[in-house]
Amino acid sequence: MVSDEEVIQIVQSYPAERRYALAAMQDMQHAFNYIPEKGLHCLAKHLKCGVAQLYSMATFYKALSLKPKGKHIIKICNGTACHIRGSVNLATGLKRELGIDPGETTEDGMFSVEMVNCLGSCALAPVMLVDGTYHNKLKLEDVPGIVERYRLADAEEGEAGND
Amino acid sequence: MAKTYDIVIDGKTCSAEHGEYLWDVAKRNGIEIPALCRSEAFPEHRASCRVCIVEVVARGRSKVVTSCVYPIEGECEVHTNSPRILQNRKVLIALLAARAPESDLMAAMASHMGASEGYERLEPLDAGKCILCGLCVQACESMGTGAISTVNRGVDKEINTPYGAASDDCIGCLSCANVCPTDSIPFMEDSMTRTIWNQTFELSRCKECGRVLGTQQMSDVELCDACRRKAIANELAETYRFV
Repeated sequence: MVSDEEVIQIVQSYPAERRYALAAMQDMQHAFNYIPEKGLHCLAKHLKCGVAQLYSMATFYKALSLKPKGKHIIKICNGTACHIRGSVNLATGLKRELGIDPGETTEDGMFSVEMVNCLGSCALAPVMLVDGTYHNKLKLEDVPGIVERYRLADAEEGEAGND
Repeated sequence: MAKTYDIVIDGKTCSAEHGEYLWDVAKRNGIEIPALCRSEAFPEHRASCRVCIVEVVARGRSKVVTSCVYPIEGECEVHTNSPRILQNRKVLIALLAARAPESDLMAAMASHMGASEGYERLEPLDAGKCILCGLCVQACESMGTGAISTVNRGVDKEINTPYGAASDDCIGCLSCANVCPTDSIPFMEDSMTRTIWNQTFELSRCKECGRVLGTQQMSDVELCDACRRKAIANELAETYRFV
């Protein structure tokens, strides 16, 4: 749950000018993995503009999300090179592993899968980006291992937290 | 004094001030250029329907521009109905008609332009009358309410309130519905209430004659114009009775 203080802190860090709307929303996206409704309302009040204007921006940019995203964000590159080399297979592999299509988030809130247009690493096609780490020249059979690695890391983290 | 130019629109010489929009110059000289997303209520125009395209010939070059936002900055020759423009406009109308298959206006325009046939490959959307010109958003913003906006983008783009829910900013003034060229914004009104954009407003009535004044959110005026005038007249008559 996002606290009011966190939202206010992000919003207040920008001057009350409309040109900072996108920057503030990006910060929220970065901090919370999505833009909460109260974040939009708070920002609208700060910038003295309508919530509708901000909502319009938030729904326009693919980088901004109004629904909570998973803890790990998996981006499948679907640029020309990756597409040719079978990026759709990776999506199928993830669907098998996580049960979700691109654009969706797993019910436990651990993984989100996105199809993106080009990650700029065509020589390494097909590429998948997980939390900023590039996994390259992937085959369908590599997918379960990668997902498992993140699950294990989470489990270890959880255990460490319990100690 | 702003510089003026003589421009020729469809063979007619017209005088235009520097920076004046071409559409306005044509209109003043009795030349009608069709437009959908344009309203006299606003000083700035959107050029989003693109129906008002015309051909401008200047310095030996011809280009297609949207006349509603094309400022005159020199002498030029304008063709509002050249074969090139008619063809382009026909395609534009066909596309808009496919986007708004339920709109009678778009259907009428398409048949007028000969765009009803030959564009079967454009599969009509299963959605309403909206051509997404954004005039309603402009109207809402100019009212100072800013309750609606375009949501999403590309094929999913639509006009709505944030989260498709009742908006605190909406006052139910119907500016959006009144300005809409294709009457695509639905609202319902009965004797007591008005429903628009996912919420219901209570209507306020003139306390003298009972005429509908608008919603209670719009203003706290209690009398309609006629009754207010009458009230002021009565008060004046009362005040000056003994003078």
